[in-house]
Amino acid sequence: MKKWWMLLLTLGLFMVLVACSDDDTSGETSSDEGNTSNEEDASGGEDQVELTFWVFGSAGYDVLAEEYMEENPNIKININEGEMEDVHNNLFTSISAGSGAPDISMVEVSNVAKFMEASDRFYNLYEYGAEEIKDKYLDWKWQQAESVDGSFQLGLPTDIGPTTMFYRTDVMEEAGLPTDPAELAAEIDTWDAYYEAAKTIKDKTGKPISDSPELMFNAIRDQQESQYFNEDDELIMEDTVKEAYDFTTKMIQEGLIGQNALWTPEWGSAMEEGSYATLIGAPAWMIANVKGNAPESSGKWSLTTIPEGAGNWGGSFLTIPAESEHPQEAYDFIEWLVSPEIQLKSFHNNGLFPSAPEVYEDEEFLATTDEYFSGAETAKIFAEAAESVQPVYMGVNYSIANAEIVTALTNVAVEGADPQKEWDAAIERIESQLERQ
Amino acid sequence: MLEQIKSQTQKRRKFWNEERKEAFSGYLYISPFFILFAVFGLFPILFSFYLGFHKWNGLGEMEYVGLQNFKWILTDPIFWKSLSNTLIMWVLGTLPQIIVGIVLAYALNSAIIKMKGLFRVSIFMPYVTSTVAVAIVFGVMFNSQEFGLMNVIIGWFGMDPMSWSTSEWGVKVAISTMVFWRWVGYNTIIYLAGLQGIPKELYEASVIDGASVRQKIQFITIPMLRPIIILTVFTSTIGALQLFTEPLIYIGRSYREEGITVVLYLYREAFANLAFGPASATAIILFIIIIVLSSINVFITNRIGR
Repeated sequence: MKKWWMLLLTLGLFMVLVACSDDDTSGETSSDEGNTSNEEDASGGEDQVELTFWVFGSAGYDVLAEEYMEENPNIKININEGEMEDVHNNLFTSISAGSGAPDISMVEVSNVAKFMEASDRFYNLYEYGAEEIKDKYLDWKWQQAESVDGSFQLGLPTDIGPTTMFYRTDVMEEAGLPTDPAELAAEIDTWDAYYEAAKTIKDKTGKPISDSPELMFNAIRDQQESQYFNEDDELIMEDTVKEAYDFTTKMIQEGLIGQNALWTPEWGSAMEEGSYATLIGAPAWMIANVKGNAPESSGKWSLTTIPEGAGNWGGSFLTIPAESEHPQEAYDFIEWLVSPEIQLKSFHNNGLFPSAPEVYEDEEFLATTDEYFSGAETAKIFAEAAESVQPVYMGVNYSIANAEIVTALTNVAVEGADPQKEWDAAIERIESQLERQ
Repeated sequence: MLEQIKSQTQKRRKFWNEERKEAFSGYLYISPFFILFAVFGLFPILFSFYLGFHKWNGLGEMEYVGLQNFKWILTDPIFWKSLSNTLIMWVLGTLPQIIVGIVLAYALNSAIIKMKGLFRVSIFMPYVTSTVAVAIVFGVMFNSQEFGLMNVIIGWFGMDPMSWSTSEWGVKVAISTMVFWRWVGYNTIIYLAGLQGIPKELYEASVIDGASVRQKIQFITIPMLRPIIILTVFTSTIGALQLFTEPLIYIGRSYREEGITVVLYLYREAFANLAFGPASATAIILFIIIIVLSSINVFITNRIGR
């Protein structure tokens, strides 16, 4: 008899274990009491709709979601925040497995093409009314998440990353260059002028003009009309970004660019030390990084336009995977979240730069200055940059090509390797990875 | 009709005899593990064998390509590089571990040291810390700048600062250090247990015969510890071949050649390049390599055990 009791207990425990491991319906693991209290909620007996929302980066969407839930008591939004790569990987695995995807997921622009290939696993937002709000956003931004034939919209645009040039006023002063944004932009208006300025800075201060080969390369790369791949996904790097690569490696070899890799601790501490002059090709979301890494350097940084027209680096979209059971509610929420006035809030809270041009006419917005950046008119400079960005086709294998180029640049900068050899080796590595897919 | 029912109940009764009931409840008891293992362990293992012969990007149709994936992997210089990296890090991480582990265990076991409990706990501590945290902290220590901790330390010996995270040996030394730091305590505790299993009489007898400390270690401690040493070599071999977290955190997602390990190569193939076929093929090749190395281990063990 005892034995059977034990057996029942074991089975019971096993059931609990299984129930616990099933985590995509959070909130349902609680007992029945939870449900009854839900019905006595202020929502007046309406069924609560729960939406899971995956985000990355410090977008500040949790605060905005709270606001939305107050306005719409029948909606409950659960936010899961993760690291950018991880969110994309998890999203990919879950749509591949056909289970576990959220109701809404953020997708970064360089990953859009990958998910566009699986567009049958996402809701077409044109079927939920995206057509009506299309004109509110910058064309190039909207197109990034639209299928080539224009019939499918994968996501709604969040922020954009028009590139500018951040610079250290103290280093510029020491080098005898202008520290006022407008004057400096006039002084450094082409890449040749940038190169000349680099030599001046090196002579006068001994400091490199930039500490990151990758940023230098990205700055010029992001200005090109096409980058690694053409629209048939053929590798066209030789014709598009080789110039950017050659320019960067020439500067490296002349000692005008440092060796720091992006996102490393030393890259962060260099911002505080001011051991270089410009953070080139920096988008709006970089502001938060600079402030976080260099809390003491307020007033020593400023920003201005980048030579030869801005590119775009980063920015995201909000997508609704086909697994969601509440596409309409999810759509209503994201439409609200990316609406111009809420994007303006995101800008003030977290520095996410709006992708809706009507915001740029807002007087208050344009008057935004930043004490940290020596009182520069940040919003105005980014808005001007945003208008000049060209749409770029990134392609599904963007990250493969980019990772190998970064490796080549690092080898040139750190190991003193031969640029042409490294370029050829990188192309070879990219091609061998591409043929396996 | 009635006859039939009778005979059936009899059959049933025969089927559910006492022994069968015992056995059935026994299987039920152990079923949770096996059910979970079948779902989360066995199925993925078999599926990756299946995938190894297909081309699949994780979303579309699978396409049978035979041995093409294996051909790609085995002709890819970066795969061989990752294998040699892994083996070098295995040697760099494991050998010092064994030597230092034995020395530490010997010290902890000697009569001179007080507060043994404290030392044992603190030596074991690294093993229970999160690998990611360890990799991040060591990554800061091994940073390539002149003011990086390790560069300052080697500067005292008159050496030039190294670019740890990008140079051929810098990466390996940094990652091996992380592995060493994490595992040395674990192995020390195992050796300690082994040391305490050595009968005191042997040492007493050797003292009467006039043996020095060195001779005691050489002729009593090491031979008596041999099975334990083999065990630790065994576990660290399998562990080292699956090295993944430390290099991933330390070299980031650049997947640079100097620090890429077999598992990291596999991960890049699957989750960065969406080539699940070659990634599964890599897993199968790694599986074979582990089997071969383990067999050699077993063979040596049996020879020594006699």
